[in-house]
Amino acid sequence: MAEQKPVRIAVDIGGTFTDLQIQDARTGQVHALKTPSTPQDPSIGLITGVEEAAARFGFAPTEIGRLLHGSTIATNAVLERKLPKGALITTRGFEDVLEIGRHMRKDVYALKAEPRSVLIPRQLRFGVAERITADGAVETPLDEDAVGELAIRLVELGVEAVAIMFLHGYRNPVHEERAREILLTAAPDLSVSTSFEVSPEIREFERCSTTVLNALLQPVISGYLTQVRARLAAAGVSAPLYLVQSNGGVVSPEDAARLPAKLLLSGPAGGAMAMDALAKQHGRLNLVGIDMGGTSSDVSVVTDGAIGETTESEIDGLPVRLPMIDIRTIGAGGGSLASVQQGALRVGPESAGAEPGPACYGRGGKRPTVTDGNVVLGRVDPEAFLGGEMVLQVESSREAFDVNICKNLNLSDAAAAEGVVAVANTHMAGAVRLSLFEKGADPADFSLVPFGGAAGLHACALAEELAVSEIIFPSNASTLSARGILDADLRWDFSKSAMTVATPDTLASLSTKMAELVADAARKLEQEQIPETDQQIEISADLRYRGQAYEITTPWLEISAADAHADSAALKALCDRFHELHQTRFSHNAPDDLVEVVALRAVATGKLEKHGARAAERAVPAPESTEREVCIAGKWRTVPTISREEALAAGAPMTGPLLVCEEYTVLLIAPGWQLSPLGHGDLLARRIGETA
Amino acid sequence: MTQLDPIRLEVIRNALIAGAEEMNLSIWRTARSTVVRETLDYSTALFDGEGRAVAQSTRIPIHLNSMSVCLDEIVAGPIPLDQWSEGDVILTNDPYSGGQHLPDFVAFQPIFAEGRRVAISASIVHHVDVGGGAPGSYFAGATEIYQEGLRLPPVKLAENGKIKSEILQIIRTNSREPEKIAGDVHAQVACLAVGQAAILRLTERYGVDALVAAMQEIVAQSERAMRAVISELPVGVYEFEDFVDDDGQNAIGLKVVAQVEVSGDECTVDLSGSADQAPGPVNCTLNMARSGVYCALLCLGEGKVMANSGAYAPIGVICRPGSIVNCLAPAPVANRMATGHRVVTTVLGALAKAVPEKVPAAYYGVSYVAALSAPDPAVPGERRVYFEVEVGGWGGHPTADGADGYSAGFHNLANSPVEMCESLFPITFTEYSLITDSGGAGKHRGGMGLAREWRLNADWGTLSGNFERFRYPPYGLNGGAPGSPGRFVHYRGDEVTELPSKISGLALEAGDRVRLQTSGGGGWGDPAHRDTSKVADDLASGRISSQAAENAYGHQSSD
Repeated sequence: MAEQKPVRIAVDIGGTFTDLQIQDARTGQVHALKTPSTPQDPSIGLITGVEEAAARFGFAPTEIGRLLHGSTIATNAVLERKLPKGALITTRGFEDVLEIGRHMRKDVYALKAEPRSVLIPRQLRFGVAERITADGAVETPLDEDAVGELAIRLVELGVEAVAIMFLHGYRNPVHEERAREILLTAAPDLSVSTSFEVSPEIREFERCSTTVLNALLQPVISGYLTQVRARLAAAGVSAPLYLVQSNGGVVSPEDAARLPAKLLLSGPAGGAMAMDALAKQHGRLNLVGIDMGGTSSDVSVVTDGAIGETTESEIDGLPVRLPMIDIRTIGAGGGSLASVQQGALRVGPESAGAEPGPACYGRGGKRPTVTDGNVVLGRVDPEAFLGGEMVLQVESSREAFDVNICKNLNLSDAAAAEGVVAVANTHMAGAVRLSLFEKGADPADFSLVPFGGAAGLHACALAEELAVSEIIFPSNASTLSARGILDADLRWDFSKSAMTVATPDTLASLSTKMAELVADAARKLEQEQIPETDQQIEISADLRYRGQAYEITTPWLEISAADAHADSAALKALCDRFHELHQTRFSHNAPDDLVEVVALRAVATGKLEKHGARAAERAVPAPESTEREVCIAGKWRTVPTISREEALAAGAPMTGPLLVCEEYTVLLIAPGWQLSPLGHGDLLARRIGETA
Repeated sequence: MTQLDPIRLEVIRNALIAGAEEMNLSIWRTARSTVVRETLDYSTALFDGEGRAVAQSTRIPIHLNSMSVCLDEIVAGPIPLDQWSEGDVILTNDPYSGGQHLPDFVAFQPIFAEGRRVAISASIVHHVDVGGGAPGSYFAGATEIYQEGLRLPPVKLAENGKIKSEILQIIRTNSREPEKIAGDVHAQVACLAVGQAAILRLTERYGVDALVAAMQEIVAQSERAMRAVISELPVGVYEFEDFVDDDGQNAIGLKVVAQVEVSGDECTVDLSGSADQAPGPVNCTLNMARSGVYCALLCLGEGKVMANSGAYAPIGVICRPGSIVNCLAPAPVANRMATGHRVVTTVLGALAKAVPEKVPAAYYGVSYVAALSAPDPAVPGERRVYFEVEVGGWGGHPTADGADGYSAGFHNLANSPVEMCESLFPITFTEYSLITDSGGAGKHRGGMGLAREWRLNADWGTLSGNFERFRYPPYGLNGGAPGSPGRFVHYRGDEVTELPSKISGLALEAGDRVRLQTSGGGGWGDPAHRDTSKVADDLASGRISSQAAENAYGHQSSD
């Protein structure tokens, strides 16, 4: 979709910084900007960023055509439990499903169970008489009087949000919808979510969990969006606002407020989307991205040019069953704490978090972290950390190592620091390897893409651990997430539970469901006034062999919006594709076994115009120093430091060791690696002796 | 490197754990049956070249802590280590050669580098059916192991990297599910090569000597850690007894007794006072009993001890041959979990006498396994087997209430979604809930048991169940009350029948309802000392009834 006004802004609000990417169609340039986040009211940081950008890059707020907004507001509301009082209405006899969950524990030898997250307490979970069977038939009609009485009681109890989940409600929503109608008639101010509308898929616990999250987030997100829109209007910005979802697409504030569960895991989505763009830009089909943050790191994977998606994820132990970008989060980051236990060095899973943070922050942290390790090793310029926002206290890092590690293990500062970094690297490498292994992929076929503030220092070591021979250092690594958002399209997901065997006998019912699904998707695109040329509808089916417990989402390429009719040839093509995917992912298949269709899916996309933008050229800042003393492999050596611009301008490949200093991040090119420009402002490091 | 520095050690340790997890994922990726894929009934581990367990995946305690004993028995007997060559895979399921029960196959593969045996990769998988008197090889009527299915002594399944097809053919021929068992055996063997690749990455990077030294030190670290845990126990002898309901054939309780003797940084657990081996299949081999003892002590380590052979070293286990915890061939063992869980709860009960501030009251203490055979609603003329595993409440802990309805102790398995079951089997659920008043009363309440009730829609069905804790409920500690016992009830019209804890071949008709109630956990501490606000919360949320609030906790209702 073309926009009338020249400026598009992507904003990614993180815990510490609010990152902006600004694209101006008049110059074709993309600018980056960082401003401190304002956690109490994130919209303040957002407006500050927009105003700063307008002043610095020369545009008026009225010239902004679209504002794409990524945030962790939904995520944080859940993590910090800043949620309204909610209730659950469900089939009588199944009020405890939300609490019972799936039984499996993570800490195998615990005598005290890890606390389980249950967002709605038992006294606010209400069963009503009703029953729909697995085939969608009504066995017991809904007790409407009971729902009416409940509505009054909920208001008396001060409940703001209600989730409705009836067994097999994914199959037949009649009771869920009627119950909502009764509630809203009696209590129009309640926020009500039904499982059919949020996540119409089989498996009651996961669907219930997702619906409850949605219900509790509705008031939170509505409130926030009202605030943002008021602030934007006051600042003279009339551009439409779009919110980033966990699936990598954006939606209107109205959709976001209705289905806020779709925002829950959108934090890392921007980075993954940027990876997708990088893959296309550089013609590299296989990328593995690692975004290293303070307390955790996110791993995302592009295989054969496509970013991985999943429908099974969780937040804080609460399942979220919605399509989203597949990201593996590991509990290792710059803030991971090192310690000595029974004579052994351990790193993590405990983290110093943002407060007090690493010892070098000087905020009272006394135990050494991975970041402290990098400081002690001279790999971080203490004067230039986070763009000079914070001066790091090298002595505090050293002392933390002395007291906690060196004495116990009889090691020097540098040896202990290098050890902690090495151990953190094995944690991350292990997670990357598992992420690839579960997709049936080999790390050797991948290029590593480090981004976020800290990954540039660890990339070469990680690549060596993984036997990866090539690293792409993207431009704007510290605001890459915002860069990914800038290229987002509008996206809506639709699904329908099917639970039927894929045989010609069931084709008629599958075909009907498919037609309904495509119609839903087409209707949405029309409502949103997406021009026909920018519309796209993609169909897929979740398939498995009969009796299996896990499905593979299989693209159904034979079905299109124009021709939504499924015939037996199309069904066979779908099943064949499933057998193939099963072989790749699970190393075997069974073409003679019955295939079961668990769900049908449609993705409706409204494409936003891409400008083929290039990064704005920046003046090469005069490097403050041209070399640093850095410890690598137990030796202190003088390592040249250059700016990214110098690296990009270099005529011949530059050989490590080398530090590339950027405003918010540092890249360590280790000995044995060679750095050269890749185009589009990106850099490529290759192991010496390896060719493309 | 010949000198081992602590950093390289930690790097190698992490890589070994990651290697065991990769093996775990490999089985999940390639297995065929739902037992493996759905209930995740398998485990993986890496051993050093001498057969000491070093690193395990995060899976099932009962499996994990039995593999090293199994390996010891194999190399001490039928196949000594010097006969293990590159490309061999050694396989067994024989409970009397270090195995568990017949459905569990254990596989080992030696890993060589620079001509040296540097490590062994291992996997254990519960297979869907290995023959015997009942589908799934859980024959409650068995009195001899010969009735329980195929028994495979330790054999070389593969030599020179080639699987011997004749052995695979023996396995297939003896199973009701030949394709699935063959697929799962392949998955189990393929994961061993994944472990080998993980080991070889380490020898290439750091050298054979470094790896060998690191594995030795990782085992030594665990031994030091376990010794430290034991040292914190007061020196003395602590005894406790608990009971298995029955063997499914005679309504006689079977005593399990643990006498734990702590002396310095070592302890000896003597289970010799336990009952004689039973005619029915609830017997444990010595290996099973040892696995239970190790599990209990690892729990006491509160996550500080990495589970491997080092952790087992300071723990002596004595079991009288011919007893229920060290049965002699040909005693049947299919339902060995009944006694296995009881070994864990009994040892923990004894340890509670040593460190009452650390040990919780008893958890539900059994794998509640039920199986229904009924017509397949989708394919006329075919039958399907519905299989479920349920759990109950955790024991009240000295510092916290027990978890309600959650997997505990010796096993770690997942439940099946109600909607999925109803879509695949001819049943309709009428309830899945936590049971009011099922958690034992205490200062820290025991966790609640679960009720799972369904109705049969098909014309016929055949039901079996392997349960426990119907007659001997999970004990309370320090003045806490026991958890509620389990129940299995059959409803036909107005007829209500209480079923025994172990049943097979019960014929069901259309419209019959079946209700399983699992036991709650025991309470910890005098209920009179329970925080009144917690009693009020429990009352408000229906975790206890007003009657229980008054009788057990002396709570005065405000109305």
